Amino acid sequence: MAYSKIKLPASVSIIILFGFVLLSLQLMSSATQESSQLGEMYSWLLVINTLGSIILLGLVAVNAYSLVRELKKKEAGSKLTTRMVSLFVLLALAPAAIVFYFSVQFLHQGIDSWFNVEIDRAMDDALELSQSSLAQRMNWHIKQTRQMATQLQDKSEPTIALELGSLWPESGAMEIAVFSNQGHILASSSANPSDILPHLPDEQIWLQLRQNKEYFAYDPGDNDEMLVRIIVPIQRDQSRFLQVLYPVPVRVTDLADSIEFAFIRYQEMTFLRDSLKTSFSLILLLVLLLSMLAAIWVAFISIRNIVAPVKELVKGTQAVADGDYKQQLPVMNQDDLGFLVESFNQMTKRIARSRDETRAAGLEVENQRAYLETILANLTAGVISFDSAFYIRTANQAAYRILHIPVSHFVGQTLQTLSVKHAELAEVLTTIQRLLEKADDIWEQRIVFLGPNGRQELLCRGTPLFSQHGSRTGAVVVFDDVTDLIQAQKNAAWGEVARRLAHEIKNPLTPIQLSAERLQHKLAKELPDSSAEFLQRGTRTIVQQVEAMKRMVDDFSEYARPSKKQVEKINLIDLIQEILALYTPSGIVFASSFETRHVIVEVDPVSIRQVLHNLIKNAQEATTAQCKIDVKIAKVIRNNAEYVELGIYDNGSGLNADQIETIFEPYVTSKSKGTGLGLAIVKKIVEEHGGVIWVDTSYNDGAGFVIQLPVFEFGNN
Amino acid sequence: MPNLAKPLNYGLLFCLMLWPLPSLADDFAAKVRYAELAETTGGYSVNTEIDYQLSPTAKEALHKGVPLAWDVSIKIRQPGFLRNTTLYKKKLPYSLQFHALLNQYEVKGPSGQVEMFLTLNAALNFMALLHDAAHIDKGLLKPGHDYQLAVRTRFNRELLPVPLRPVAYLDAQWFLSSDWFIWPIQK
Repeated sequence: MAYSKIKLPASVSIIILFGFVLLSLQLMSSATQESSQLGEMYSWLLVINTLGSIILLGLVAVNAYSLVRELKKKEAGSKLTTRMVSLFVLLALAPAAIVFYFSVQFLHQGIDSWFNVEIDRAMDDALELSQSSLAQRMNWHIKQTRQMATQLQDKSEPTIALELGSLWPESGAMEIAVFSNQGHILASSSANPSDILPHLPDEQIWLQLRQNKEYFAYDPGDNDEMLVRIIVPIQRDQSRFLQVLYPVPVRVTDLADSIEFAFIRYQEMTFLRDSLKTSFSLILLLVLLLSMLAAIWVAFISIRNIVAPVKELVKGTQAVADGDYKQQLPVMNQDDLGFLVESFNQMTKRIARSRDETRAAGLEVENQRAYLETILANLTAGVISFDSAFYIRTANQAAYRILHIPVSHFVGQTLQTLSVKHAELAEVLTTIQRLLEKADDIWEQRIVFLGPNGRQELLCRGTPLFSQHGSRTGAVVVFDDVTDLIQAQKNAAWGEVARRLAHEIKNPLTPIQLSAERLQHKLAKELPDSSAEFLQRGTRTIVQQVEAMKRMVDDFSEYARPSKKQVEKINLIDLIQEILALYTPSGIVFASSFETRHVIVEVDPVSIRQVLHNLIKNAQEATTAQCKIDVKIAKVIRNNAEYVELGIYDNGSGLNADQIETIFEPYVTSKSKGTGLGLAIVKKIVEEHGGVIWVDTSYNDGAGFVIQLPVFEFGNN
Repeated sequence: MPNLAKPLNYGLLFCLMLWPLPSLADDFAAKVRYAELAETTGGYSVNTEIDYQLSPTAKEALHKGVPLAWDVSIKIRQPGFLRNTTLYKKKLPYSLQFHALLNQYEVKGPSGQVEMFLTLNAALNFMALLHDAAHIDKGLLKPGHDYQLAVRTRFNRELLPVPLRPVAYLDAQWFLSSDWFIWPIQK
């Protein structure tokens, strides 16, 4: 209910209401007074007050019902309102009920005390005395009148008039009249000369006269005086009647009236005794009801007005508890509660401001963190951070790319746990874990391990992290895959070696060979046969070795020389099949598995042909029995670029771990003959085409080489 | 605002329970025996006979000095399609009082005349007949039209002593009024 909207009018209306209640009750109280002009309004006032009580009862009932509903809904402030209203009703009702009870008791006893047996008897006696006095006077007048009637008996009408004149002064009557049974006046005599006509009996008197033959009664006369009217028949046949009006002395009349009034009043009071009690009790009850109900209703309104700020405060507090700090409550009054509401508003404002500041700071931190994460994620170096117990906290994308395991999925776990699940990395992970635990300062270590793509070399740098207080809070490890870098350095070194060999060794070889041949040519004829033969063997050996050295130097120079890339778009499948066809007659069994027969690559076909020849030859040489080679083509996506993956697997003796590590380095061979440059050249060509080659360590039935080359078009014929 | 239908229904039921049922108990109600419009010189006068009955409580009150008062109402109406048109109406007040000293009943008529009676019956019989000095104008009723003469007597509780009035509205002993009695008049 919007009590706040009727704040000022409510107080005015309450005063008006109480004014009406008091006025109505005052009017009703006045109306009970006998002499009051308001007596005529009594019933209406009673009805109005009763209606007022019913309306107030209704208002109280509606408010109580509303309060009960609020209580059931557990609305804010309902319990406080209930407690205050209950307390008020109890405090107001108890004394009012006590006052009402004793007032009613006092009223009843007071009314009862008005009446007692002595007064009853005295009133009866007084009335009886008055009645006896009047009866006596009446009897005397009846007797007097009868005597007069006897004197007028058998008199003629003119005589009667004369007789009346003589009788009147003796009788002391006010008026004497004789009239026929038809009502015609025969004669009359009056003390008042202005009365031309006598007071004739009316129909009622005639009726009684005919019934009772005589009529005697006290009649109300003019000017509030009392008259004794006596009518008796003059003639026995009732043809004439004598009516005499006797005046009752004023004093007697007054006394009789006074006694009658008192008697009647007393009788009336006696009769109204219970009604009086009921009536006064009713008025008292109405006073109590109206006052109490009005007070309770006003209490409801006032208490609701008082509780309204508390209610708002409770709602506001709930809103703040729910995280709504923008809650501002209306300040209804400048009192203590108003001060409380103002304080609440200030508090919510400050909380909201602090919250906004904290949120802004948090946002800033979050942005910074996101920025750092972005940087970390885009770093080519892998970064893994650890907490003080060496549990993984963060890991970037590069860590996944280098280690080939999603390290970020193992946040909250140790590297030891990670190594259990990825046994191929157990060595490197254990090494890093050990270094982390051991190091108190920045450390750097190169770690070589055999990854899924062959030998890998990591350059790891670890930094322990310390808090401002010096306690260890964790560590961060930055590692980079330096395999390619190392390999490039090695390649460059080997290239330089090869170039120098070609330059420094090849140059003297030709003179050596020529000199040896010349020696043979010149001395063969001059030397004895045995010496000539010796010379021939020696020069032949020199020439052969020089030739071998020349080949070796040529190989080296070829290795050192950048491959002449005549790049063109070719179908790799066609190239492979062409080369395989060359080897089919030599008894090699090829098993090919191609996802598609349309793989366009942009390469130097001569170089790629050499790569394939080298690999197939190696396989052939490594196989003692029936040589079987599997060739597989598949498409892979690496770093958002499409590659064709060419796998060549043989059934030869395979490679051991040491060989795998150095297989692509120059001058590494397991063959008795050979320069060991075959695979080094293969790797060089592949890398010059933007691809990679590695030994598939998961293949155990022989040696497996995997080449990845950028693909131009894959699959669409 | 809360739904007030329920409490209002209960309140209405409560009020109905408190409401007295006076119309059912009319043992002591007055009855209008007959009423007629009598032609007089230059107009009409109303003749009626009203049978007044006094309940034991009313009689006791009368003998204890409480004056009783009735208002006899007379109406001449012309029935209409939707509502009747009242052409003439008059109220004739009567009051009855007992004088303990004289042991007589005093009846005060409409014109203020006072009549004393030795018996209650005589007083009630006097009140039974109308004592209206006023005459109804002859031109009021046009020939060829239908009219209604309505008579009732209403016990005037408001002239009772103040403490008795609330009881008089609730106690059947004080339901001394008559209903409207209607007689058709054809001219």
